[in-house]
Amino acid sequence: MKAAFSDLQRGLEPSRTPVSWGLASFRGRFAEISGGEATAALTLTMGLVAEAQQCEEPVAWVTGRDSSFYPPDVAAVGIDLSALVVVWAQGALEAARAADLLLRSGAFGFVVLDLGSDDDLPLAAQTRLAALAKKHETALLCLTRKGRERPSLGSLISLRAEATRTERAPPLFRCETLILKDKRQGPGRTYAELCYGPDGLS
Amino acid sequence: MDRMACLDLPAFPLQLLLRQHPEWRGHPVAVVDSDQPRGIVLWVNASARAARILSGMSFAAALSLSGDLRAAPVPKTQIDRAVVAVSRRLREHSPHVEPSAEEPGVFWLDASGLEPLYGSLDAWAAGIETDLSAIGLSAVVVVGFRRFATYALAKSGGGVRVLREAGEEQGALQDVPLERLAIAPGTRDALAKLGVHDLGAFLRLPSEGIRRRYGKAAFDLHRMASGELNLPLQPERPGPPVTAHLILDRPETDVDRLMYLIETRLPPLLEALAGRGQVLEELRLLFRFERLGEHKERIRPAAPTLDVRQVLELIRLRLSATRLPDGVEELHLLTRAVNPEQRQLELLAARPRRDLEAANRALARVRAAFGEQSVVRARLRSGHLPENSFAWEPLSRLESARPRTRLQRRLVRRLYRRPIPLPPRPRHEPDGWMLHGLEQGPVVRVWGPYVIAGGWWVRALHREYHFAETRKGELLWVFYDRVRRGWFVHGRVE
Repeated sequence: MKAAFSDLQRGLEPSRTPVSWGLASFRGRFAEISGGEATAALTLTMGLVAEAQQCEEPVAWVTGRDSSFYPPDVAAVGIDLSALVVVWAQGALEAARAADLLLRSGAFGFVVLDLGSDDDLPLAAQTRLAALAKKHETALLCLTRKGRERPSLGSLISLRAEATRTERAPPLFRCETLILKDKRQGPGRTYAELCYGPDGLS
Repeated sequence: MDRMACLDLPAFPLQLLLRQHPEWRGHPVAVVDSDQPRGIVLWVNASARAARILSGMSFAAALSLSGDLRAAPVPKTQIDRAVVAVSRRLREHSPHVEPSAEEPGVFWLDASGLEPLYGSLDAWAAGIETDLSAIGLSAVVVVGFRRFATYALAKSGGGVRVLREAGEEQGALQDVPLERLAIAPGTRDALAKLGVHDLGAFLRLPSEGIRRRYGKAAFDLHRMASGELNLPLQPERPGPPVTAHLILDRPETDVDRLMYLIETRLPPLLEALAGRGQVLEELRLLFRFERLGEHKERIRPAAPTLDVRQVLELIRLRLSATRLPDGVEELHLLTRAVNPEQRQLELLAARPRRDLEAANRALARVRAAFGEQSVVRARLRSGHLPENSFAWEPLSRLESARPRTRLQRRLVRRLYRRPIPLPPRPRHEPDGWMLHGLEQGPVVRVWGPYVIAGGWWVRALHREYHFAETRKGELLWVFYDRVRRGWFVHGRVE
């Protein structure tokens, strides 16, 4: 009884094991990466896409038609564009429907919902998506445009990170993520990486 | 006298590969039997040949000769599918088409009686060549009299050639090099030792001696070249398409009732295809509306199938996405079928963690729900302007990713589909350039300009690109358009 109680206590303590930033942290979870002005959300997500492709995980990118990632930049980080599925969706609800169809197949290892400022996802859709991501061990990630003071998409978000460009040491830029919410490991961890700028920016 | 044409698509798998990867043109390209160092090079283009890469080499050896080499295997199923597609296209030029069973990319066509229709056989043959070049295939067309003669001449020449008389055809045959024909390499080398390099010299040898020394294949070749053995055209006889046609008693406006009608008609169609040993590749739904006339919808499963449930699900997704604008009076279901792929061997192969077939089925559902153009992928192009440096193309089938090793981490830009115009810059800016509103603060640093100019032959263009960083850290990709005299935001670094 005493041993079981100590296990329970240990379970409540935040993990001391350092967890690196990678696809493994997102598998089977409904996550959100947000960023305000000096954001690096797209850059860090593309790093996860590259990792997913290296692990032979099919990747789908659901986005609106107004803007998208710039394909030459994405190709420059080693991503195979021909195998990166892009689904055009109009609004958050349609994006959620497309993600539902993709997740239900269990064939995608990584699905990104590029929502931008339009991040009004109904709770019912979030519940369904979170359950599907967990069932098929798929990393489901929403990209949103907002500062850390604003709340996450909803209570079903298992992991929320803020991605920022913090400082610059020419020709490199420092991109940092701060975990604002993590239902498994607890918040507060940070991860940083140095990136080159696109051509013409150094 | 009956006329016949032979159409050859030289190095057919290589042409298919280049059609799949148009950005590879200009580079050394090879078709390999497997994408491994020990894979064998099967076909090469002129640039690869210039780099001394030859068919028969291992992929690793070819790569050591040119690091710029692009290579990929072309599966047999893809070749078979392309042969069926080309046959279908050729049937628009001649009623009788025979694809070669031994050599994919070779076709024979019946050219008899077409002269009055097209004016001349030259015009007919040139029309075929142009039609195929429109779908990215380069063809050699020879119009003659005999099956073997047209084949040998097509293999030895280029472009379009029309032979007027049988004698002219036999004369032209004499100069065809043996190495261009599908002849066993051992026989070819043995004949070369006798100084026999072309069909003329080969025909001067006694046929009985050829049979005894070189076997039946060489003997048959001799008989075909001499005209002793002449096989007639054996065209494909495709059956009529499997279709269903419904005329409704009263115009139907309810999607559910329409779905019920489709559900009852679809299984017999698929059973008919199964009876032919075929599977459904595409289903076309033709609706005739009461007032709006005809409307067509295409349903394409991820892979050819006979699964009724899967097809019905796609139809339901397509119809539920749109409301019927008018009452449907008539409904046609038209099937497009193909022969199934042989896949038994896959049972023994190692299966990846994720099922790509399931991924393709999911993408077919997304296409059915949001439209054919909703699923795309990016392809890089050599355009001058940022928006022309890539193109979105429909993704018909998802394949395994082949990412490059990530050498450098780089910031990624977001590109706006339409550049956003900015307000004009005032002459005096006491607080600096307020590029993106007061909230973002003034621009604290600018990189550039990087000038893109040109297009004077169509529409003059002069853009000066800059990266502009605001006080709050926003990093915008902006340009000044000299022609339109205005600033635009084209993207932002995210």
